Amino acid sequence: MKKKGVGIGISFYGIGYGNGFPDVSKAVVRLLDGGKIGIYTGATEVGQGSKTVLSQIGAETLKIDSKDILFICEDTSLMPDSGTTAASRQTYNTGNAIKTACEKFREELLDAAQRELGLNSVSGLTMEKGEIYLNFFPHKRISFKELSKTYKDNPIEVEGIFTAQTVEMDSETGQGAPYWPYTFNACGVEVEVDTLTGKVEILKAVFAQDTGRAINPKLVEGQMDGGFAMALGYALFEDLEIDKGRIKNNKFSKYLIPTAMDMIDVKNIIIEDPENTAPYGAKGIGESVTIPITPAILNAIYDAVGVRITEIPVTPSRLLKVLADKA
Amino acid sequence: MELQEVYKGENVNEIIRVLSIYKNEAKIIAGGTDIIIDLRNEKISPKVLIDISNTRELSYIKEEGEFIEIGGATTFTQLIENPLIQENLQGLKKACSLVGSPQIRNKGTIGGNIANGSSAADSIPPLICLNSTITLVSTRGKREVYLEDLYTDMNKTIREDELLTNIRFKKPKPEQILTFSKLGLRKALAISRMSISTLLEINKKGVFKAIKIASGSLGKYPMRELEVEEFLLEKSPDEKTIYKAAKILQESMGKRLKGRSTLPYKREAVIGVFREAVEEGVNWSCERNKIKG
Repeated sequence: MKKKGVGIGISFYGIGYGNGFPDVSKAVVRLLDGGKIGIYTGATEVGQGSKTVLSQIGAETLKIDSKDILFICEDTSLMPDSGTTAASRQTYNTGNAIKTACEKFREELLDAAQRELGLNSVSGLTMEKGEIYLNFFPHKRISFKELSKTYKDNPIEVEGIFTAQTVEMDSETGQGAPYWPYTFNACGVEVEVDTLTGKVEILKAVFAQDTGRAINPKLVEGQMDGGFAMALGYALFEDLEIDKGRIKNNKFSKYLIPTAMDMIDVKNIIIEDPENTAPYGAKGIGESVTIPITPAILNAIYDAVGVRITEIPVTPSRLLKVLADKA
Repeated sequence: MELQEVYKGENVNEIIRVLSIYKNEAKIIAGGTDIIIDLRNEKISPKVLIDISNTRELSYIKEEGEFIEIGGATTFTQLIENPLIQENLQGLKKACSLVGSPQIRNKGTIGGNIANGSSAADSIPPLICLNSTITLVSTRGKREVYLEDLYTDMNKTIREDELLTNIRFKKPKPEQILTFSKLGLRKALAISRMSISTLLEINKKGVFKAIKIASGSLGKYPMRELEVEEFLLEKSPDEKTIYKAAKILQESMGKRLKGRSTLPYKREAVIGVFREAVEEGVNWSCERNKIKG
């Protein structure tokens, strides 16, 4: 018999290494030949979109187009360290380092423009679209390209550093503020359980994620879909089957992960509530998007068939056994 | 043995000539969806591969009077898309469409599914229900065997110099329906944990006038479930009867799979899979009887 049920899961998740651990990101910004801006940082792109998002942060700060940024993050001989791509920290931490670097870089460019234009101060100077000009006398202007020629032998370059603020927990009491900031989310799913075969099918899902600010909404949705798919595998499929210390399901023909056919269209809702310590308010969501899904699925199974599952994945055989034990 | 040569089979005569020379040192490769994996895992080590994936003579679906004939190297995708394989043959279409993934269905062939002979082969139970025969050709001649006997009768297995050239079955009567249900652990790229196919007919009196049932992964090879068929014949397809039939199936598969770690789950789940296959047919028949009066 097929039975339907609904369930929700909610979570909050701390970004970064936390617990007072030194969590440092660095970025270098340099004026390149032809007036392009080079951003050098050790943040590793692993498909999550950090190159896109971090370029956007740089472009926003310098009021230029993303395509005028050369973003280099793959060669450790060319760039400072920005810590690991872990703990959902790159958008927040390295984003902050880039924003700081770009703000300092802006000052340097304005100083250079003042010198080259023979002005008394930087007052009244505007920077946009790769040019710097005097507001009330726009004829006085100089482009990044021209500046790059002038400073060819001694390129304008600055470094930005961001150190996240977290507090070590009291080792005696476990009290304290180990993380900052936190991100929040909630997921609701509807499932159908086949009580004869033990199969669980996800029928519908709605998923809301707090991002602080979605620097790139499409990438946020991509992360949310990806997190949902991973959690779906975690909840229903992925079983190592450890037998006397050995993994029995040691290949992907046995260790099942969801296919595109198993994934459903999730209704994603992006919540924006800017975080004031974050670059343009943006918090990391890399890991948090996996967390509330499995509880939601387990709650929905409970709603459908009245059994509490305490071991995942809920494979058909495991679910049938739990149902039989209840009956 | 190291693989030394790959022959590209232009036509059946050429293929069987090469087979007659190399015999068990040769392996036929069509889609390669099983054989490449076996080669990689060094489960097989043929000296010669004979590629039949582009042998036109072996890739077709045709109607010949009351029969449908399918070339051995016809892919699952070709079958799914063919207008002959639908309506009351929907069970065969469904089985073929649940094989692996689109990529595997584009390469994998029905002849390969049969020759590989996995107990979990999706296309075999419906073909068994249809009482299909296969044609085996060698330089010594040609013979036809029932698919159902292929895995059970030592004299009917494919010999080392034989090529499976086609599968043939009589079209079911318009009032008969072929169904299929499968339990895989996910929606694609999942090996069948079990499958059931039925060919059934419900007459105006509302009883099973004909019923054939074949299973996959409920024994060493795909097979007919004769005890269940016998029980259901001439009975009405009410819930109680179907449940009793499922219990009979449970009993016989339980004996066959005794001692296997997968048995406890399969024993339970077989009821659901069986019911789905039978109910699909019963619903189709009732609908049809209603329309035809």
